[in-house]
Amino acid sequence: MAAPKLNVSDVAALARLTLTPEETEKFSAQLGQILGHMETLGQIATGHVPEVTPPAQPALRKDVPTPGLSVEAALSNAPAQANDLILVPKIVE
Amino acid sequence: MSLAHETLVSLRRRLAAKEIHPRDIVKDLFTQIDAREKTLHAYTHLNRESALAAAEKADLSLPLGGIPIAIKDNLNVLGDPCTCSSKILEGYKAPYDATAIARLRQAGAFFLGRTNMDEFAMGSSTENSALGVTRNPWDPTRIPGGSSGGSAAAVAGRVALAALGSDTGGSIRQPAALCGCVGLKPTYGRISRYGLVAFASSLDQIGPLTRTVEDSALLLSALAGHDPRDNTTDLRKPENFLTKPDGSVKGLRIGLPKEYFLPGMDTETEAAVRAAAEWFRKNGATIVEVSLPHTPAAIAVYYILATAEASANLARFDGVRYGRRATDARDVLDLYQRSRSEGFGAEVKRRIILGTFVLSQGYADAYYRRAQKVRGLLREDFEKAFAQCDLLLTPTSPEPAFRLGERNQDPLKMYLADVFTISTNLAGNGAISLPCGFTQSNLPIGLQLIGPRFGEETILRAAHAFEQAHDFWKRMPPS
Repeated sequence: MAAPKLNVSDVAALARLTLTPEETEKFSAQLGQILGHMETLGQIATGHVPEVTPPAQPALRKDVPTPGLSVEAALSNAPAQANDLILVPKIVE
Repeated sequence: MSLAHETLVSLRRRLAAKEIHPRDIVKDLFTQIDAREKTLHAYTHLNRESALAAAEKADLSLPLGGIPIAIKDNLNVLGDPCTCSSKILEGYKAPYDATAIARLRQAGAFFLGRTNMDEFAMGSSTENSALGVTRNPWDPTRIPGGSSGGSAAAVAGRVALAALGSDTGGSIRQPAALCGCVGLKPTYGRISRYGLVAFASSLDQIGPLTRTVEDSALLLSALAGHDPRDNTTDLRKPENFLTKPDGSVKGLRIGLPKEYFLPGMDTETEAAVRAAAEWFRKNGATIVEVSLPHTPAAIAVYYILATAEASANLARFDGVRYGRRATDARDVLDLYQRSRSEGFGAEVKRRIILGTFVLSQGYADAYYRRAQKVRGLLREDFEKAFAQCDLLLTPTSPEPAFRLGERNQDPLKMYLADVFTISTNLAGNGAISLPCGFTQSNLPIGLQLIGPRFGEETILRAAHAFEQAHDFWKRMPPS
């Protein structure tokens, strides 16, 4: 697999990040180099290998109600709030 | 001698004998902190008053009664800041205790302060902290390692007796090696991560940084065990890791993986680690050469999987429910983008972008899925090696502490600092780093002992025997 051209601004937008022109330029060069290093994985035969999945563990807890955070505690770090609700910019006109 | 220089085990003995009071310990620690912290900057927050108050009402009948512990700034302690050394969590106060914290509290411990780290645990030098760099107690022009650099510098620099850290690719063991203390990354599933700010959930593990192996075992005994709030935790009842080790390593089979002794590696590190292997041989262990053939692929696998998981885990920081919120956002998308772009530092952004890319349509097969398969091969390597031996012995870091600023402009070079620790996280095994020597310029060198999964008892027994036969752990950094 040849190192693909990573369009840093497009991927940043997917991750809800806005980059400055300096960051875009710097990250393009650095991530290009890092992806180049990752190309070495292409040389390893993995055709027969199953993908690692999280180990199954019968550890689901019993579905019984337990006390959680109080409303006050849950909202204690909210940047803006009113009437026990978190305020956000309007999303529906 | 200041009580700040003593081990947990010795302090517990003296507390039980009523020779000292917990307040004496806290006072001595704050005297040390006032003298050393200006240089070290191991802490991002100190609990001066609450630590003294907790010392006054400590229950000495508990296993950690009267013992103050420093906590990495990514573990929630009710009422304390938890910033992950990031601007995005500036002002955040934890509304609950992490399970690891609750267990320490139940065992009688209390909390001295928050230790500095690479932002969101992403780094190997603690230079990625938004709250300033931490300096190595052995040489303040050098890095303490990372990401738990504050915890390691605090313990080695005698401004904490013990600390908690987290280890996703070496973040407990590498700073422990570079600062000359003991760092244990337990087996994946040994300690609950509930309340640890998640970086890469299939790799993250909490563990202790201490002066001695016995102290490490003491803390592990308090921390280990199943937690219904983290269903990766092991269901078996954990053992007491503090059962008196007999100091013998007779009959142990110790594997030296040939991929961990590379041409061109630091000669003083290699000599110290080979001398440690020779000590084990002379004391009745058998040394065998083993191979972990997929080791050269570990860095690539790790930086694909860890960044992929981080890109998802860090999506929660959006400026809505907690953390930094950008002002005057036009709409909700603008709010997300500006809060995140203002709040995250460069390394975090770089890793989120990389992680988003390796999961994106058209690239997930070539990167993410392939990396998962190679992770499977790395695990098989460890299983095959442990069919031949009880422990693996390796250097923790390819070299001693490097200078501040030497690598932070070259992320790939920084990533290579984790080459000997990363595979253990990918395979899920437990491992310890402990001092095994010093360079001519008086920098600590770390020895890594890796065990089979849930093999902490063997790791601790062997590490304790080596430690007690040497005096590396007694050496103090220049004050």
